[in-house]
Amino acid sequence: MSSSPQAFNEVLPEGLEGHEPTSLWRDAFDRLKANKLAVFGFIIVVVLLLVAILGPFITPYDFLSQDLSQRNQSSSAAHLLGTDDLGRDVLSRVIYGARTATIVAFSVTAVSLLIGVSLGAIAGYSGGRVDSAIVWIIDLTMSIPILLLAVVINVSLKTPVTYWMDDMYLKTHNPIYRETIWVDFALVFGALALIMWPPYARLIRGQILSIRNENYVLAARALGFSNRRILFRHILPNGLGPVIVLASAGLGQAMILESAFSFLGIGVRPPIPSWGNMISDGLRVWRNYPHLLAAPAVVLGIITVAFSFLGDGLNDALNPKGWR
Amino acid sequence: MERKNKIRIIALFALVTLLLSLAACAQPATEEPEIEQPSEEQAEPAEPSEEEEEVELRIAVGARFDDLSPLRGGGHSAFWLSMWWASPMYYDSDGQLHPYVFNEWEANDDFTVWTFKIDPKAVFSDGSPITAGDVKATWDLSAVPTTKHQRVGLFFTGVEGYDAVINSEAMQMSGIAAVDDNTIEVTLTAPDPVFYKRMATNLIPPVKASQAVGPDGKEVFEWWRPENGVVVSGPFMPVSMDLDKSEAVFVKNPNFWMGEPKIDKVTLIAVEDAQTAITLFQSGELDAMNEIFTPTLVEEMGEEFVSGPMIPRGHQFWLDGSKEPTNDINVRKALIMSVDPDMVFEAAFPNGPGQSVTQLLVAVEGVDPEYVWYVPDAGAAQDALAASSYENAENLPKLYFVGISQASHELAAQYIAEVWRQTLGIEEVEMKAAFDEYSGPDQDRVQIFRDDAGARFPDPVVYLMGTIHSSSGPAQRKMGGYNNPEVDRLLEEAATKGADDPDRIALAQQAHELFLEDYMFVPYYFQNMPRYAMPWVTNWSKNSDWQVVEPWNVVIEPH
Amino acid sequence: MGRYLIGRFIKWVPSAVIVLFLVYALAFYGAGDPIKLIFLRAPGDVVWSPEQIEALREEAGLDRPFLIQFGDYFWHLLQGNLGNSIISNRPVIDIISAAAPISIQIGLAATAIMAIIGIPLGVLAGLYQNSWLDNVTVGFALFVWAIPVYVAGPLLLVLLVLVLKIMQVPYGWDGLFSTKAIIPVVVLALAPLALVIRQTRVAVIDVISEDYIRTAYAKGIPQYVVVYRHILRPVLTPVITTLGLIMITMINGAILVETVFGIPGLGYLTVNSIIEVDYPVILAITLIGTFLVMASNLLVDLVYPILDPRAAKAEVEEVG
Repeated sequence: MSSSPQAFNEVLPEGLEGHEPTSLWRDAFDRLKANKLAVFGFIIVVVLLLVAILGPFITPYDFLSQDLSQRNQSSSAAHLLGTDDLGRDVLSRVIYGARTATIVAFSVTAVSLLIGVSLGAIAGYSGGRVDSAIVWIIDLTMSIPILLLAVVINVSLKTPVTYWMDDMYLKTHNPIYRETIWVDFALVFGALALIMWPPYARLIRGQILSIRNENYVLAARALGFSNRRILFRHILPNGLGPVIVLASAGLGQAMILESAFSFLGIGVRPPIPSWGNMISDGLRVWRNYPHLLAAPAVVLGIITVAFSFLGDGLNDALNPKGWR
Repeated sequence: MERKNKIRIIALFALVTLLLSLAACAQPATEEPEIEQPSEEQAEPAEPSEEEEEVELRIAVGARFDDLSPLRGGGHSAFWLSMWWASPMYYDSDGQLHPYVFNEWEANDDFTVWTFKIDPKAVFSDGSPITAGDVKATWDLSAVPTTKHQRVGLFFTGVEGYDAVINSEAMQMSGIAAVDDNTIEVTLTAPDPVFYKRMATNLIPPVKASQAVGPDGKEVFEWWRPENGVVVSGPFMPVSMDLDKSEAVFVKNPNFWMGEPKIDKVTLIAVEDAQTAITLFQSGELDAMNEIFTPTLVEEMGEEFVSGPMIPRGHQFWLDGSKEPTNDINVRKALIMSVDPDMVFEAAFPNGPGQSVTQLLVAVEGVDPEYVWYVPDAGAAQDALAASSYENAENLPKLYFVGISQASHELAAQYIAEVWRQTLGIEEVEMKAAFDEYSGPDQDRVQIFRDDAGARFPDPVVYLMGTIHSSSGPAQRKMGGYNNPEVDRLLEEAATKGADDPDRIALAQQAHELFLEDYMFVPYYFQNMPRYAMPWVTNWSKNSDWQVVEPWNVVIEPH
Repeated sequence: MGRYLIGRFIKWVPSAVIVLFLVYALAFYGAGDPIKLIFLRAPGDVVWSPEQIEALREEAGLDRPFLIQFGDYFWHLLQGNLGNSIISNRPVIDIISAAAPISIQIGLAATAIMAIIGIPLGVLAGLYQNSWLDNVTVGFALFVWAIPVYVAGPLLLVLLVLVLKIMQVPYGWDGLFSTKAIIPVVVLALAPLALVIRQTRVAVIDVISEDYIRTAYAKGIPQYVVVYRHILRPVLTPVITTLGLIMITMINGAILVETVFGIPGLGYLTVNSIIEVDYPVILAITLIGTFLVMASNLLVDLVYPILDPRAAKAEVEEVG
């Protein structure tokens, strides 16, 4: 049964293709606009991206400059979010931390989503041996302890690359090689994403297993649409809802993961600010200086929630059942 | 209909499985305290009376422990060894030496043969005497590599036959002999007038040879557990050790010869999280801890909690002289002279404890308070960098810090990095928590190690021998094979002088000043030995061996 | 059924071996030598010589080539011997059998809380979309979702112990049915609880717009019957998958909760064995991990067809 539509690949009627998706995405966008919470989430996420990109230009102070006589100040006109235990401006560090958070969240989620959704979809749709093989890889990947991998990547991958870049800089004096810190993040967390895709794969596989025998899919098959077309036009949009929810949650989760790693001492290291190491620094002194914990934790919370709103909104908007 | 039944059956099955597995899992955990109970009662006779409320000292160890052997020479649980093991001698918190297991000691004229006498009253917790055979066996055992003693070299380097044992060529040190049951004789390869002071440590406490040493001369597995009937020599003896939970319970040792302990029970638990530890202290569920670093400790626990005498131990940021760019003395000068140690200390410990000093030596005789190593000077630092082969910060490779393992160290390192950025223009700096995060071949780039160095008893020569002599750990590893022949020569000569010989101190001072001129470290701070105990714990002090002094005298006031 | 289970187990063995090999190789080449680290990591006046370390490595068999070490480990594993910890020399089986039950209890309890609280709340919120119930539930879910575990833990501790003074610090572990277990389990369940609520809610909203549900309502079938018969089943499919995943991560990695509350479970053991590079312990934990993944897959596969007859039909067709 699963192999028969293959034969119709070449004789596929192409006529309707241009029309159908446009209306689907436009409708989705309209529905998204109508959802106030989703719009709120969208705005916050856009603000986060802007802040991350513009970071160095909009910080009121240098995020590194210290003033021991001004340490642990609470909020004031000069320092809107107060100062930390080395007298650095907390607002500037939160703004700079947005960069770290964004790079981490997007690199982890993008890589794991890409791998997870494609493998999961292939597994769910193809079935048979392909499915078994992919499921086997999923299980294999899930069994590798994530912490061990993080430590090992730190030592065996990140360090040599950092060293290499430092050498290249000293040889060429090209500033591209000087900023090694962002490469570090992308490398460490990007590599982590390589083993974080299984939840996406499993979810989408489960979705597809339950959808692929729905009437509209069977109808599409009967009409002789190609496998790829059925997968991308019919199955994926229908099964994508929970995946989008999971991915939007995943963006927030990746930020929390970064902070948890920093809490354990293997994430982003000082003096580079990340919300994670700001939170774990804040935890040490929060009973005396609550603002040092509150500032990064609240910002992290708002962003996490914003991603959720956006994810829910996207799910409602993209789900064709709502208007069918 | 059929399917519905199936669902019900499976749901029921799942529920039962869940409950069963929960119950099965709960079983062992609830059983364990019951096992502990009888062993505690067995020890009951040692306690004064049933009516009095049991006085308990609750101690937190800063890391989980699953190895309480007294012969590891390190680890968090080793901070509490004096609770259940008697040391050969001990120092009090003022640096005065007291007899303990050994009550007499003397050397021959050239300080190469030392004789120690065991106090005839010294007995193990089963009443059997501590013999010279036990002492020799303990010391030999601690030098055998498989015992994994982390600091045995501090005590026995220079003893005849030590090298053979540590290199696995022999199981016994030929220089240590039990002359009779009460007399132990140590032969050294070179004169050491302060050898007896080295023995005043709880890291080599005499243990019962028949229990600890196996037929092959190696340590018996877990001989130190109460389940294996261990006999101890300290004021308290273990009645239970749960190594999976990291909990240990001790009660009075009825045969302890130095005086009856004033506490009935000592419990050790592991608390890794500093915030949890503080909460436990504040809710009155904990009495003492071995170490706890948070920047606001004084605000939360009060001045008294961290008060204590200064000890001969300092924390520095050592510069590795074999790595780029710190192999250039002008770079080192620039890195050092730009930093004001007072400010580093202020950044890390705004409310103490400890103090900042700009020398290596502290809390020993011969520290010259007038001596000025350098005056922090941004201009001079910039000049030094310009005079270096790198000329400016643009040409410097990235700087790596390791050993930034505590909040306070992190603040200090960040402060230093920021000063370098402001005065020298150094932008590329990275910090790591543990020494080993760049383990293996990668470690060859790390230039800056934060670590402490010092001596376990106040002696300037021992202090410097263990810090800047080319054979010492800091010189070999933290400073990348630091070797100044003149420093070595001066120290080796000083080491042969008697403890009261003025030359001993003068030579040490010379070596010290020579070393400082090599600019090998960014000064950080000198530490005290904080109480880390609640105010109701009295008669509580610690010595520079990191041990509680005279634990049998510790009192817990009603609170 | 028995044959099926055995078949699954036999399929699991080769993947477990591959994972063990990978993890051993990662630890061996990436994380370093455990014996060296004992001395490298010790602070202050630690003293060691290369000869001493070599002797120790020889004693532990760490001086042999990697493949021989792995072969040796595997040979012992076949005989049911997990080896001894390199650091403490204790038998790994003892260490694991003390820690694993605690983690399993915590993981199961937290999963149970999530299922019992999360699914009904999610269904209600979905059924009464945009009502006050929905808003409160979603608001609650978002709130707990946004707080990291290691922030929630200390905050709750201080609130309950020092401010409200209603309990002592729930430190350590006296079994699941002691009061000490409540806060850690609840803290652990909080963030994933939000995920379960949201996922259930989204799925319910999806399903209630389906034609057959409308038809069922139109026929006048009471709501609870519709919910039970037609809504719950398709909704539970993705939720069960997620729950299975969450349970694995919780059993394997309640690291932060275990640190804050001093619980001697697998999470702590994982961190510690990785820090100490204690190969036998790392491998034993990995083995448990692969087994749990296999078991949870099995459970999901067994429950799927019951919950969702469409998937079952597909599966049958696939085989046929």
